Amino acid sequence: MILFALAALVSLIGLADALYLTSEHLSGRSVRCTLISGCSEVLSSPYASVRGIPLAAIGAVAYFAVFSLAILAAFGYRLAAAVLPLLVAVMFVTTLWLLYLQAFVIRQFCEFCLLSAAVTFALTMIVILIRWQINKFRI
Amino acid sequence: MGETFFVPLQPPWLPRFNPDLNVMKRLIPFLLIIAVAGGAAAWFFARSASTPSPTTANLAPVPTPLGPAEPGAVPPHAEGPNGAKVTIEEFGDFQCPPCASLHPVLKRMEGEFGSRLRVIFRQFPLVPAHEHALAAARASEAAGLQGQFWPMHHLIYENQKSWSSAFDVRPIFEGYAKQLGLDLERYQRDLSSQAVHQRITEDGKRARSLNVTGTPTVFLNGRELPFPSLTPDKLRALIQAELNK
Repeated sequence: MILFALAALVSLIGLADALYLTSEHLSGRSVRCTLISGCSEVLSSPYASVRGIPLAAIGAVAYFAVFSLAILAAFGYRLAAAVLPLLVAVMFVTTLWLLYLQAFVIRQFCEFCLLSAAVTFALTMIVILIRWQINKFRI
Repeated sequence: MGETFFVPLQPPWLPRFNPDLNVMKRLIPFLLIIAVAGGAAAWFFARSASTPSPTTANLAPVPTPLGPAEPGAVPPHAEGPNGAKVTIEEFGDFQCPPCASLHPVLKRMEGEFGSRLRVIFRQFPLVPAHEHALAAARASEAAGLQGQFWPMHHLIYENQKSWSSAFDVRPIFEGYAKQLGLDLERYQRDLSSQAVHQRITEDGKRARSLNVTGTPTVFLNGRELPFPSLTPDKLRALIQAELNK
């Protein structure tokens, strides 16, 4: 199904973005403030890590899982197709929470984080479209 | 119903009941997944390899100072006895969020190591990126002229979130000065005094002579610590290691 392939492609953008953010976080580049590149209030906030693991790394794993499930679903694996919307739903809710944190708590946005949010929204819409398509074919 | 339910999920390009194509169905998706996983891992490790990877086992060697280290403001703001075996020197900016996160960590270390540890603070406001950093530095130095540097330092860091995005921070810092019982008139004068300006400038010279480019930058007995080692557990281990030498 084209929509699954599309989801796989979109998730690759999310994966690349999350990997980049993870490497920035781990290198300490954005996490401390410098004269040259300033600092990201968002990436240096306590919300950027979960128990020592950079949030971006968790995002990378999530996007990779979406990619895997979408690819499997595109090749006809029903279980993958069933699990995919659940994962995307979790990511959607998480994204809403992170956007809330940036807007009202940290009061600063980080561009790559916003890109990730956009990717998650796109995936959510694709998954909804898939659901709608399936429903169309139901009796 | 089973047929129509399956139809959208069975891609048209994979005709069913074809054993060779079933192999394709089994193989290709996993190949793609592995390819992406491999590509991602390769990119990630290549990127980490090209940037110095900070670990506690391998402390970044202090870059060659550009000349002899400048002394910085004299006397330095220090908590802990002069003869302490371990000295931590922090270059900090009051508006820098990671510095604010480091603040409780250092306080904790002071609590745990007591008189064995000396903590020195050097002003390194990142201007113009942090628009209130210089005002905060001045406020702390002015308080310092009345012997209240550390209490002011604590107040400013602990309340960073509340003043960081304010439009005018001067009344806020004046509030802290009042809270600390400072002579407000003298505090106001000292904010723009030569003495305060001098201290901040001297610390800045020391920072540059030590190749400090960001905040927080922490030196442990003269050795620069990589940023990821500034967690309570790692820092404790590092201080302990110095004590054991």
